[in-house]
Amino acid sequence: MSVAEAEAKTRAVEGQAGLWSDAFDRLKRNPGAVAGSIVVVLFVIVAVFAPLVAPYDPNEQVGSLAANPEGPSGEHWFGLDEQGRDFFSRVVYGSRLSLLTGVVSVAIGLLFGVALGALAGYLGGWVDTVIMRFMDIMLSIPGLLLAIAIVTATGRGLLPIMLAIGIINVPVFARLLRGSILAQREADYVLAARSLGATGPRLLGVHILPNAIAPVNVQATLAMGTAIIEVAALSFLGLGPADPGFPEWGKMVADNSNRLTVSTHLIFFPGFAIVLSVLGINLIGDGLREAIDPKLRA
Amino acid sequence: MLRYVVRRLVLLVPILIGLSILVFVFVRSLPGGPAIALLGERATQESVEAIERELGLDKPVHEQYLAYAGNLLSGDLGASIQTRRPVVDELKDRFPATIELGFAAMLFAILAGVPLGYVAAKRYQGFLDQSSLVLSLIGISFPIFFLALILKYVFAVKLGWLPSIGRLDVTRTLEHPTGFYTLDALIAGDFPAFMDAVRHLVLPAIALGTIPLAIVARITRAATLDVLSEDYVRTARAKGLAPSVVDRRHVMRNALLPVVTIVGLQTGLLLTGAILTERVFAWPGLGTMIINAISFRDYAVLQGGLVFFALIIVLVNLLVDVSYAFLNPRIRYR
Repeated sequence: MSVAEAEAKTRAVEGQAGLWSDAFDRLKRNPGAVAGSIVVVLFVIVAVFAPLVAPYDPNEQVGSLAANPEGPSGEHWFGLDEQGRDFFSRVVYGSRLSLLTGVVSVAIGLLFGVALGALAGYLGGWVDTVIMRFMDIMLSIPGLLLAIAIVTATGRGLLPIMLAIGIINVPVFARLLRGSILAQREADYVLAARSLGATGPRLLGVHILPNAIAPVNVQATLAMGTAIIEVAALSFLGLGPADPGFPEWGKMVADNSNRLTVSTHLIFFPGFAIVLSVLGINLIGDGLREAIDPKLRA
Repeated sequence: MLRYVVRRLVLLVPILIGLSILVFVFVRSLPGGPAIALLGERATQESVEAIERELGLDKPVHEQYLAYAGNLLSGDLGASIQTRRPVVDELKDRFPATIELGFAAMLFAILAGVPLGYVAAKRYQGFLDQSSLVLSLIGISFPIFFLALILKYVFAVKLGWLPSIGRLDVTRTLEHPTGFYTLDALIAGDFPAFMDAVRHLVLPAIALGTIPLAIVARITRAATLDVLSEDYVRTARAKGLAPSVVDRRHVMRNALLPVVTIVGLQTGLLLTGAILTERVFAWPGLGTMIINAISFRDYAVLQGGLVFFALIIVLVNLLVDVSYAFLNPRIRYR
């Protein structure tokens, strides 16, 4: 008996399969999502155990200062940077920052986006109009531009960056959840719950939200990938974390972009670290979207 | 239809007012100020105050905004603090460069993306379909600036096929009546200059157009798949129309509808992407202008640039919605 059959049997015994366990089953059969998960898990492991993975301290000078630092070798896998620091160790530590900013900024966006979207969708009327018009205005300003504005206004630093990326996600989540709630609000099961006496917060929290949140989850996953890219982009424009020693992938690419002709390794390794981590997240997000809505094969 | 357009235009007013307030407040909240940026950290209190008085920064904020909004309506965006030139002139100079780049990028995205998505849908689940999905996913996972650097490295530095910075060879002289260099070259009848401008456009356009390309391809594929399973396509086939006619008249025409929307919605992405692309390729456009304005606290330029960016996006979105309502009558009656 295969694992799948065994699981099917257990489930038959338990009598029901929820949306999420169903989706998880489909996700496991999607090769792209599995590959993405492996990549993301690897990045998480590297980030968490960075001090064990990295052979050197990311800010320790282990080689000589050089205008054209040496490239990859057996001793220094990713070569050295212009300050003689082990570049592999710096890229490894960079994973911490990227994953952290990705998760925190999306969490900030979710917190406000879900609250606003739920209010607008559930209450309707003028509350809906006011919230959604404001979201429209925010959406009309391109995300990166808004982030640039916020970071320049609040000053450079890790928190302003995460806040900025979080804020630009708010209208996206709010809009998505509102639409989803509107679709659910008139469903029969909501009517049934209402006729049984469920009101206000309970109706919204227990009945509508769990059913309406699926598209927001997918978007949140994909937003994490975008967040990593946006943090890197801010760094690239010189709006990254203020500490010059901070190993951030986008900043590494930016700082070394004028060495394109001589020390390509200083650009390519952090650059591909961004691509690989974002690709992993996108693969999961895509798989999740298909798993939740099998009709969607786009 | 007319009512729909009018309603959308009326809705534009609060959005624009909100936008101008938002931008105004943001710019005021920047740390430091133009006086400090202009005079340096060690400026005396008196000289700072003199500059602020001259720029009207000593008045209450709401008065500053009203003055600003009044000027805005009459098309006066103030003057750059750095160059003392009117912001409108700065925008006029920079705008064609960014638009030319954006157009080239979109052209690349559509010309490559639509056929790719269409063929992928026709070969649904085939090798080409699968690989186009994987490629487009890789495409949207690339930070624009990194892709730009790779392209620059491979095609400009290593192979030397294309120029790496600027819009035109520095030794070349060309009149700029429109500011669109490709157009200017054609007007002047200077074919070598035209080719030079195009060669300068290729790498930035590919860098900027890759993400839209991936999105356009995915949307085209999904839309084509949807249309292929429609009853009217089956009917058309059943009545004996040649497959190529069915494809052209029934499938393509309907499948391109959502693509129109997506192309419009990419405007914001293109404009912000332009900021990054322009930086890598030293392209003298709006993005470069905004980044400079930020570091110099050039309020007027920054304000003008941000409002202008947002305005383009709002207008394009409106255009997309209206054209969509025109193509799909169901929308109008919502």
